[in-house]
Amino acid sequence: MSIQAIKSINAIRFSVWSPNEIRKYSVAEITAPETYDEDGMPVQGGLMDGRLGTLEPGQKCLTCGNTSARCPGHFGHIELAEPVLHIAFIDNIYKLLLATCRSCSRLKISQDEIDEFAKITNRDAVYTIISRKRIPEQILEKSKKTKECPHCGKKQYELIFTKPTIFIEKTDIGENRLLPITIRERFSQITDDDIKILGYDPATARPEWFILQALPVPPVTVRPSIILETGIRSEDDLTHKMVDVIRVNQRLKESKEAGTPPLIVQDLVDLLQYHATTYFDNEVSGIPQAHHRSGRPLKTLTQRLKGKEGRFRGSLSGKRVDFSSRTVISPDPNLDLSEVGIPETVAMKLTIPEVVTDWNMNRMKKIIINGPNKFPGVNYIVRPDGVKIRLDFVEDRSIIAKNLEVGYLVERHLSDGDIVMFNRQPSLHQMSIMAHHVRVLPGKTFRLHPSVCPPYNADFDGDEMNLHVPQSEEARAEAMLLMRVQDQLISPRYGGPIIGGLRDFITGSYLLTKDDTKLSVQDFSNFAMLGGFNGVLPKPKFNNNDDGSSMYSGKQLFSLFLPKDFNYVITSKWSKGTNGTDKDVVIKNGQLISGVIDKSSIGAEEPESVLHRIAKDYGNVEAKTFLNSILIIVKQFITHYGFSYGYADLELDDNVQQNILSEIENSYAKVYDLIEQAKNGTLKLTRGLSSEEALEAYIVNELSKARDKAGSMASTSFDENNAGKIMAITGARGSSLNIGQMAGALGQQSRRGQRLHKGYNNRALSHFKNNDRNPDSHGFVKSNYRDGLSSLEFFFHAMGGREGLVDTAVRTQQSGYMQRRLINALEHIRLEYDGTVRDPHGHIIQFLYGEDGIDVAKSDHGESFNINRLIDSQKIIDVGKPALQNEINLIAKKYTKSFNPRLKKVVLESLLLSKLSMEGIEKVCKKGLDLYNKAKVEPGQAVGIITAQSIGEPGTQMTLRTFHFAGIRERNVTLGLPRLIELVDARKKPVTPTMDIFLDEKIKSSRENAIKTARNILQTKIGSLISNIETDYATQLTLNFNPSRLKERDCKIETIKTTLQSNKKLKVESSGNTSLVLKLIGTHDAPSVIAIKNKILNTTVKGISEIERVTLVQKGDQWIIQTTGSNLPKVLEINGIDTKTVRTNNVSEIATTLGIEAARNALIDELTSTLEDQGLEVDVRYIMLVADLMCSRGYMQQIGRHGIAGTKDSVLARAAFEITVPTISHAALSGEIEKLKGVTENVIVGSNIPIGSGIVDIYMNMTNQN
Amino acid sequence: MNKDDIHVDISNHIYVPKHEIIAKQEAEKVLQKFNCKPTELPLIFENDPAIIKLGVKPGDIIKITRQSATAGESLYYRYVVEV
Repeated sequence: MSIQAIKSINAIRFSVWSPNEIRKYSVAEITAPETYDEDGMPVQGGLMDGRLGTLEPGQKCLTCGNTSARCPGHFGHIELAEPVLHIAFIDNIYKLLLATCRSCSRLKISQDEIDEFAKITNRDAVYTIISRKRIPEQILEKSKKTKECPHCGKKQYELIFTKPTIFIEKTDIGENRLLPITIRERFSQITDDDIKILGYDPATARPEWFILQALPVPPVTVRPSIILETGIRSEDDLTHKMVDVIRVNQRLKESKEAGTPPLIVQDLVDLLQYHATTYFDNEVSGIPQAHHRSGRPLKTLTQRLKGKEGRFRGSLSGKRVDFSSRTVISPDPNLDLSEVGIPETVAMKLTIPEVVTDWNMNRMKKIIINGPNKFPGVNYIVRPDGVKIRLDFVEDRSIIAKNLEVGYLVERHLSDGDIVMFNRQPSLHQMSIMAHHVRVLPGKTFRLHPSVCPPYNADFDGDEMNLHVPQSEEARAEAMLLMRVQDQLISPRYGGPIIGGLRDFITGSYLLTKDDTKLSVQDFSNFAMLGGFNGVLPKPKFNNNDDGSSMYSGKQLFSLFLPKDFNYVITSKWSKGTNGTDKDVVIKNGQLISGVIDKSSIGAEEPESVLHRIAKDYGNVEAKTFLNSILIIVKQFITHYGFSYGYADLELDDNVQQNILSEIENSYAKVYDLIEQAKNGTLKLTRGLSSEEALEAYIVNELSKARDKAGSMASTSFDENNAGKIMAITGARGSSLNIGQMAGALGQQSRRGQRLHKGYNNRALSHFKNNDRNPDSHGFVKSNYRDGLSSLEFFFHAMGGREGLVDTAVRTQQSGYMQRRLINALEHIRLEYDGTVRDPHGHIIQFLYGEDGIDVAKSDHGESFNINRLIDSQKIIDVGKPALQNEINLIAKKYTKSFNPRLKKVVLESLLLSKLSMEGIEKVCKKGLDLYNKAKVEPGQAVGIITAQSIGEPGTQMTLRTFHFAGIRERNVTLGLPRLIELVDARKKPVTPTMDIFLDEKIKSSRENAIKTARNILQTKIGSLISNIETDYATQLTLNFNPSRLKERDCKIETIKTTLQSNKKLKVESSGNTSLVLKLIGTHDAPSVIAIKNKILNTTVKGISEIERVTLVQKGDQWIIQTTGSNLPKVLEINGIDTKTVRTNNVSEIATTLGIEAARNALIDELTSTLEDQGLEVDVRYIMLVADLMCSRGYMQQIGRHGIAGTKDSVLARAAFEITVPTISHAALSGEIEKLKGVTENVIVGSNIPIGSGIVDIYMNMTNQN
Repeated sequence: MNKDDIHVDISNHIYVPKHEIIAKQEAEKVLQKFNCKPTELPLIFENDPAIIKLGVKPGDIIKITRQSATAGESLYYRYVVEV
């Protein structure tokens, strides 16, 4: 902050205005429904009364004498002829009426109970922190049941609440409407002590104030009228509503004075209540909305605050800024990675303030003469006395230039080298806003290096991006130190690089570094220069060629830019895709010895790549220059090489084409065979599937094999130099599946993971016969993209294609909302100086961040340092004999003192295996300790926000497909985004609860025992054992059991008999071997007999409720029971299971049976596996933080409005998230104080946010100054 | 949840870390170390299944020794509160 804020808000207290206060603050009583008279002057006592403030710039306010710029506006009031209820407090009014006596207004619980509750609230036993909150609820429950007041002994009546505003009491003499007046009287008798127990603060909110006697009239500045082009004055919606209130109020007053019949007066009171209600909230259910003359519903107070475009989210949390710009982006590989190309026209509008000094005087003079219309120029000059000169209006700029003095402020054009912030929405993670250096270029688009696309998730199909110019020296310094592209190379999500080569850069580096690439000395020198090499050129590798010349290898060119002591080994993607040699890429002492450079070496989002290693070992700047040099020469190389892909590259030999077709025919034949088998009932069934399902599964399997074969046949028929193949194998773009679909066959089209069956009667399209079994008629596409699809195939393809589109649209919405909730729940969480993770109110979430205090962004792929890398690089220069074991132990002990147990172990183990000399070990340890200390998190770090981003951002990349059949298995579980949302929602029950039950040591290898145990677990209902049931509606039911089912479930008639004995409505008459006769007790009509029958069928005779299905799975030599449905407490009691390892995916069940700590562990497990399953890498530290936060209050809290975001200490933060208006009114009645410690609150009031660099301040000891 | 509801000893379950009540003195030390009020610690209910058999009362502080993926082993503290 360059200018100190003069005033700062310390706290905000919320309270309810009492009628007296309303009158006290009022500067005018408003009585006239008219606003302006014929002359256009505001009517005295009207809604536009001059005393309420002023709108027009020239006018002076009648109350404070200020002009419109400085007058804050003043409240007026309306005296209501009859009191009305305040709609925002209607629920509280209802609850108070229920809780208090109708006669003495005491709480309807005994004095003892009151004292008891009061003790809890007052004695401040801190461990009642949670239980305390339930007191109002408990009182309400108790009072509701009370029939007689324990204090005065008066009888209490039932209360009927007709929403939104009518209360009726059911007295002995009939129904009696409670008018606001009566309610007010009752409420004013309630004692302060009584309402304190209910959570009210009597100082800020007496319940009688919920009934309005005077209505505050907001100042005109709140509801300005606008003058349309036609000269007609148009009033604000609020003014319209106030006019309605005044009119009705006036009529009511008159009719009361005139002695009109009470019925008519009551109608007017109701109308007044309606207008007062809609004035506060025009979306109350149960009453019609108030409309504008044009038919548009009025936007009244609640509507102004609520929702995305409301005051909180629209105007206070999100603010418009100056010095920003937005336009289309396009690529420019000639730029530096950290640069952004800016059109000259934009550069001439955006300015940077620069103070004139002796050192920049000449330059400033020059650009001032250039003026606003010539680049680089100046738009404004601010003199030290504060006068701002706009250079557009200056005729002779040279005079100004001549008079320029030190201390003038020059607002100059943006020019090369300035630092700006560049952003693409949606801003899902911190790398969505990065600092770039300006490069002013011709053209009309922002230019950026294609390699910075991944962090922004940008492409060039019309994307637009935003640019912000920091104006203060501090802001620029911060941007430069924290936000530049090279400082964001490593993603904090997983501690690996997010920036790297992509597309043609990958292809190019493959082409450059493959074994047979040779470069002439001339070319080599040119490339070296282009990459910025300035050293001595190496000796060419290939000498004495046919023409006697010397040639360099491509690998030599690549090696030029590697650090000289760089060593590295990796398996390239290319090697994996071709011959499968392991660790083919070898770099020794900065020389690429063998292997090709492809995606795994320099690709984006590739951990352990060359780029990652350089960034970690030599620093970000080195990594950036390396990447810049490589990319520019690769770009040049591939441009000259000439690399293209077209139809001709997809042409197949005739015989290959024939083979593909016959392969598909073969598969079709197999499918027909399967169908035939299914018809004959000879199809081998998989457990748990019906024959129909099994057949479908087999067919799908067969057809997918056909597609794979067609694809691979096509793909293998192309030679190694095929452009598509190069791209697929090196990882530049596409996969062999894509090539297969272009040249081979497209394969099965699907919807929701199923083949296409429906659409018309028994067929997918009207062109097929009913129940056609041909794979063609169920969406199998034999054609490929190159040859084109037949019209029917095209339709099928469109069906599958649409699903993809819908899926993306739904997914972005869902993941966007999840991200918003995560951010809201975690934004205020930061790292404190003592290493704990806390919210700004001091509540500890973690005692040590990530349990080891390591910052993932500064880590090496999640590890504070890579010990093996250190050892390897030491090994090359290490001399002397290997250290002895006890020597290593000693040295390690000395250096690893501050390490955590796991790291200690890992380091020691690696050192023991290293065979390094003693000095070597010492050096490695020293370096390790140094790196460890550097990788620690810094105080103030916004760990919460980074966590939310690291979990929210991958959400956008997840699949939405809810179910997943792992092969031909019968258990399906929710996966991907829906599962992630379910977990952070902390639902009571997941959509697909399942358990994994391991067996006891003794019996785990026996299938027999596993089956026996499974039978005890699986819920068996009578309905599933029965073959038929004979119902005699008058007397009896006969259950006939299916003997094979009885045997399968291991149930006996006897046990069924005993279970049924508890049913009071029937008697077990007689039992046969496989049947039971049940006699009905009493007489029943047909429907109730059916009800009894259903109850019998649903009776559980064996097993555990909720467990719907069990499957035995063999893993290694042990059997595991997997279930559908989950019931942990009951399963734990089953004999023969391993109670130590039983797992369920129902986290809240774990919380209730195993405790909160177990739930936290389960949550971590579930989140990790959900993310891993989708191939998304997220560091455990983030998952731990979310789990710890959700479990920090002793019970599972949801990430959302009912959980963490809803229980935040800050009123403003809660209001800005969701349920705006009820939050505020509740804050008012309990007299909450907004302490402005969090993030959102401070954004709203416009102060610095207390996180990251915002918590750092400079303190000066004033006493020591002299 | 009632004490009688649990027949099985759950403290051996892989998900349940070691919970122990710490003495008043040690509790003081913890609060001092982290410079916080007891309510600023993470909470745990007095009837949490993992501590119900330890004989806790509201106001105690529980030390939890967690198995950690990052640190091998780590300590966590929770303040026992009324339900």
